[in-house]
Amino acid sequence: MTMEGDAPEISQTPPNAAIYFDGTSSRRRAVTLRFADRLEIADHEQTLATWDYTEIRRADGPSGMLRLGCPTASALARLEVRDTALAAELTSRCTRLDENMPGRRGVAVIVGWSVAAAVSIVCVVLFGLPMIADRLAPLVPDAFERRLGEVADGQIKKLFDAKTCDNPAGQKAFVKLVTAIRESAGLDTSVQSGVLSSPIPNAFALPGGRVYLFNGLLAKADNPDEIAGVLAHELGHLKHRDSMRGLIRDGSTSFLIGLLFGDITGSSALIFGSRTLVTSSHSREAETNADGFAIEIMHRLGRPAKPTGELLLRVTGKEGKGLSIISSHPLSEDRLARMSREDRSASKPPLLTPEEWRSLKSICDTKI
Amino acid sequence: MNQMSWPPQVPPGPPPMPVPPPMPLAFSGSRGEFFDLAKRGSALEFVTLGFYRFWLLTDIRRHLWSNTLVDGDATEYTGRGKELLIGFLVALAILVPIYLGYFLIGLEAERYQAFASIPLIVFFYLFGQFAIYRARRYRLTRTVWRGVRFWMTGSGWAYALQASLWGLAMIFTLGLILPWRTAALERYKMRHSHFGDLQGRFEGRGWEFFKRGWWLWLLTPIALYISPIAPFVYAGYKAIEWRWWLSGIRFGDVRLESSLPKSALIGLYWKVIGWMALLGLVFAIYLGLCALLVASMSGEGVTAFFKTPDLMRSIPLLVLFGLGYLVMALAMNVVMRVYLTRDLWVIVLGSVNIIGIEAAANVVARGDLANALGEGFADGLDVGGF
Repeated sequence: MTMEGDAPEISQTPPNAAIYFDGTSSRRRAVTLRFADRLEIADHEQTLATWDYTEIRRADGPSGMLRLGCPTASALARLEVRDTALAAELTSRCTRLDENMPGRRGVAVIVGWSVAAAVSIVCVVLFGLPMIADRLAPLVPDAFERRLGEVADGQIKKLFDAKTCDNPAGQKAFVKLVTAIRESAGLDTSVQSGVLSSPIPNAFALPGGRVYLFNGLLAKADNPDEIAGVLAHELGHLKHRDSMRGLIRDGSTSFLIGLLFGDITGSSALIFGSRTLVTSSHSREAETNADGFAIEIMHRLGRPAKPTGELLLRVTGKEGKGLSIISSHPLSEDRLARMSREDRSASKPPLLTPEEWRSLKSICDTKI
Repeated sequence: MNQMSWPPQVPPGPPPMPVPPPMPLAFSGSRGEFFDLAKRGSALEFVTLGFYRFWLLTDIRRHLWSNTLVDGDATEYTGRGKELLIGFLVALAILVPIYLGYFLIGLEAERYQAFASIPLIVFFYLFGQFAIYRARRYRLTRTVWRGVRFWMTGSGWAYALQASLWGLAMIFTLGLILPWRTAALERYKMRHSHFGDLQGRFEGRGWEFFKRGWWLWLLTPIALYISPIAPFVYAGYKAIEWRWWLSGIRFGDVRLESSLPKSALIGLYWKVIGWMALLGLVFAIYLGLCALLVASMSGEGVTAFFKTPDLMRSIPLLVLFGLGYLVMALAMNVVMRVYLTRDLWVIVLGSVNIIGIEAAANVVARGDLANALGEGFADGLDVGGF
């Protein structure tokens, strides 16, 4: 085709020249555009396609090229215009060119909904999950909970490389102590308890009615009342089914936060941080309740509650004031203060004789 | 070296030159534009707590695809962020009950032996491989060139099974079988890939890959101990893999060839490490300044403040730390995207030559779109592939 064009520097190209792909084959066609009441795409005399100006949409193209499509005519047909004057002419006629592109408004919508989703997730995590956990925990069958306890039991013993201590004299004293507390707590005989040989000064309750005392805590204790308070505290967890509740709540919290806020580099630290904040606030509440329970039991047994607080402080050391929102337990000072405040003097004889107390302290010694 | 971009076709000059452009592949995007895209995307990701990732990923792909010119014509990415979001939500709906079931089965298994539930991870590996296949299928069906789309058939589960069996062999051979595994899996993927009515295939041989890269396998244990050589080993491995992979791709009579040197990517990785170190340093200085500021405002005197455990318990300090950490993480995201996505793309693209492109001059369009479920799984399970 030879004729004098508007763009004399490209002598071979006719005016209104463009490249057209019809979407049914990859054939590259040099076409001319005719601006009638619809856009006519023509190869010589043959009209290949006519597009409504209002149906034409912009498609992604490299810089310096206008690429158009017409979804209603053919999903993948493309018209490519490199000439800036022709591109300007086209864009002025096609009024709804950028309708499919997510512009500023589209981004605002995404941001708005994301914030809404985040707020609702935070609300579910903070208020919904604890409520669901409170309702669900009592519905979990005992058999299932005991099974969970068995699993955790095996893992913990492996993890701490701990064995159950049970030399006869010590075990006898331990059983006497536990039975006294259990009976006044109103728990049945399904509660299993034991002392594990580990230097870590700690005690914990597992789902399904298991309470364990690490030997390390016994070593730090000065009298039976201190240990009795700790055991009563753990039995409080059992009574309130805290571990089952915690499992449901913390498990689903981690799951929700982790799945939704994935994929930003370093997000694992964020997930960990927010999870710690949420779960520790719940856990502090449970600990405070268990402390209350322990104090009540000690009152019923006619023994002072304060020694337990002293033992805790001895184990953790002074924790200082300031931020405690990331700790799983209330500060030891506060716990001691509460136990002292609600303390009553002993009204009944000690729970163990000095003889029994010595046996309990040496429960992990193999030879007697 | 990072600034490789070529003017798109049309060599000026009056003498009639019927010779086709010698550059079958070119990249026309500017680095500044991509940098702005990554910056803006990271900021939006921050504001939307990560939800913007679907749109950012889409924008990045649209930029890279539409600026990649094959034989003078730019490719196009037609995927949309909304599709990825829906894929993610569907994957979530499927994964949530599976996670729950996994928990219960694990519990049952643990009853017999502590930590017995670990073998169930195998199941998730299978799922991850399925995701890789289906994600590739999504990306491929969103790739359009000259008005014709690529498409893909095949079964994601058949692929996952194959990949898992090969994965088992990997364990027994300490990874030595990797080249043959990659070759076999790529053959499956490419055999089921099409451009219009041109069927794809993969002609790379595992042996070729092995010959080029066996010494890296020997170096890997050393690199695990002497970490400064690890980037060299990894960059070498990636370069060899890219070159071998690209050189094996065929679509009908169209053949790809890559001349990527082994050392081509080393610079990139060191630049990223350099930026990480720099950002880490800036973060450390920021932390120090914050601590000083909070200490001087606490009224106890700076040295006294640092001695008490209050330092780690002060709420304003923690908030400042958290903010600084977020900004640093986002900056690192931008660095990784600019170097390891955009620059890598440009370098690899610059090494590719296409032979027999005439065979793609008149291809009949075929094939359907695939859904984004695979991408959703890949996002939910944190697996990646290309």
